[in-house]
Amino acid sequence: MKLFDRIRPAVVNGLRELQANKVRSLLSMSGIILGVASLVAMVTVVQGMVGNFRQFVDAMGGIEKITVTREQLPKEQEHLSELSEGVTMRDVDRIRKTVPLVENISPEARVGYERLIIEGHETSTYVTGVTADYLPVAKRWIDPGFGRFISDLDVLNMNDVIVLGSAVVPELFGANVDPVGKVIKIRGRRFTVIGVLNNIEGSGMQIRSANSRSGGGAWRWRNSGAFIPVSTAQAKFIGNDRLSGLGLRIGDAERLHDAVEQTERTMLAGHKGLRDFAISTNEQTLEDFRKTEAAFKLSLGGVAGISLFVGGIGIMNVMLASINERIREIGVRKAVGARGSDLFLQFLAEAAVISVVGGIIGLVVSMGIVALMNYILTQALPTGAVATLDWVIMSQGLAFSVVVGLVAGVYPALRAANLDPIEALRHE
Amino acid sequence: MPALIAIRGLRKAYVMGDETVHALAGVDLDFQKGEFVAILGPSGSGKSTLMHILGFMDTPSEGSIVFDGQEVAKLDPDLRAWYRSNRVGFVFQSFNLLPRLTVLENVALPLLYRENSDPVANAAAAKVALERVGMSHRLDHRPSQLSGGERQRVAIARAIVGTPSIIFADEPTGNLDVKNVDRILELLGSLIKEGITVVLVTHDLSVAENAHRVISMRAGLVHEDRAR
Repeated sequence: MKLFDRIRPAVVNGLRELQANKVRSLLSMSGIILGVASLVAMVTVVQGMVGNFRQFVDAMGGIEKITVTREQLPKEQEHLSELSEGVTMRDVDRIRKTVPLVENISPEARVGYERLIIEGHETSTYVTGVTADYLPVAKRWIDPGFGRFISDLDVLNMNDVIVLGSAVVPELFGANVDPVGKVIKIRGRRFTVIGVLNNIEGSGMQIRSANSRSGGGAWRWRNSGAFIPVSTAQAKFIGNDRLSGLGLRIGDAERLHDAVEQTERTMLAGHKGLRDFAISTNEQTLEDFRKTEAAFKLSLGGVAGISLFVGGIGIMNVMLASINERIREIGVRKAVGARGSDLFLQFLAEAAVISVVGGIIGLVVSMGIVALMNYILTQALPTGAVATLDWVIMSQGLAFSVVVGLVAGVYPALRAANLDPIEALRHE
Repeated sequence: MPALIAIRGLRKAYVMGDETVHALAGVDLDFQKGEFVAILGPSGSGKSTLMHILGFMDTPSEGSIVFDGQEVAKLDPDLRAWYRSNRVGFVFQSFNLLPRLTVLENVALPLLYRENSDPVANAAAAKVALERVGMSHRLDHRPSQLSGGERQRVAIARAIVGTPSIIFADEPTGNLDVKNVDRILELLGSLIKEGITVVLVTHDLSVAENAHRVISMRAGLVHEDRAR
């Protein structure tokens, strides 16, 4: 007899037993239900957070970005502060000449949180002076039909032109208005809008709360802001040639450490040994995050593992009780020709049926938990982590429950298989 | 014609604590095809042990059993299960029907454990067996919905569904009222017409008297073997 032909009646029988003892079966399933639900829900939520953070790091320029910022001199160099020039366009030239690993250099001069005014409307956002290299370094672009970005010529001529973040546009102009060519005022100066940056939407995290505007939601901070030529910012707002920092993009992320070292040497040489700058990368952030992720997975996996283990004990317990009640049945089945292996299969199938049904209920519960977590996280976090259940995790959860059921069923099934038919028939 | 079952020097000893109990102390017997035999004896006489060994539920400590020309005294558990499924039927005092299964499913149960078991063919065979015992009007009932006599008829249908060579009936009338006793004994006796050997195991002489041959057992030995 083929194995499948033996399994099928065993499974049918298992379903009948389940139906005949609904309450008991549900109780025995509770551990599996909770185990699968917590496993699937937690893995899903952690994955959602991971995906969220990956996007966050990417939005920060990714792993291939090096950031140079202006810093106070350290204590031992404080007496030399007169000599500190800060980070300037001269650093840009030096790095360009001496660090070939760096492909793009984006000098940034922060103007500040400014009011942008047109007739009848105004809004406030961060205004930053940049060059054409801002786009490749920040991994941004301008979609066709949305104008152009700041050019080298704009920087050279200190043009009064401005590029807006996509979230700023509706606040100033309302919906469905093409802002390119319009003139807005900042601190009384007139700037011509020449372009609108692409709109960033997180792909793995579709948070759309009712009050979020276009380009809003989790990525609102990335879609706001306004950009003017760095020379314009320095000459007309800041009043000196200092930059707030540099963004460097290297071509080969593998050579990040070399690039950092070379940049540091170049900077130190150019600054006469003064440490009035700091260099940072996203690597440390990513590394910290990887550790957090691993810790999360380990602890949540532990919790889920324990609950599945408890679930397995629950099933084993009920199976043993059930076998005790059905010793006579086992005797009868053996008397009419059942082999030990037939009874082993029958009771193993029963345990498997309990765990599969429990696992399926657990999956349904996990959907509820994930929906609830999404709701809470959307409310609580600005960048909100939103998780979507995927079939891989769900089938893994179900597979786990089946394995637990089978393992838990082995011992009771062996007991049933090894019962002596004569003793079993005598059992009252 | 060779005997269906030939037993020679059959012994069965149990070790219980320090004592060794000789349930069977050297039994020689032949059973013919289509015989209606009663094994009579008080409890502890060895009649149940003999039935269990002949019914492939137990193995002897010593001796030989030739069943249908095959030596079967020392078979492994799976082969014994095969014999139980294909050659032997049991009828018990307490019916031993499975409460959650219908009458039809109970009767088809022995066929479930056969090779190439087919649900449709099993159900058809079970219906034939239930017709034979006059219970074909109760196919979808549960055992609990039947009277004692009806249950025992269903149990007999289960015993004959696999067309066995021999049926062991262990005190089949012990739980029945007088009216049903005769009916069940008559039904069992009628099975020999189909070439089935029927072995009635009982401690009740009046029941044993229905058989055509009565074997009395005492202290693990055949005390008397007489034809009626």
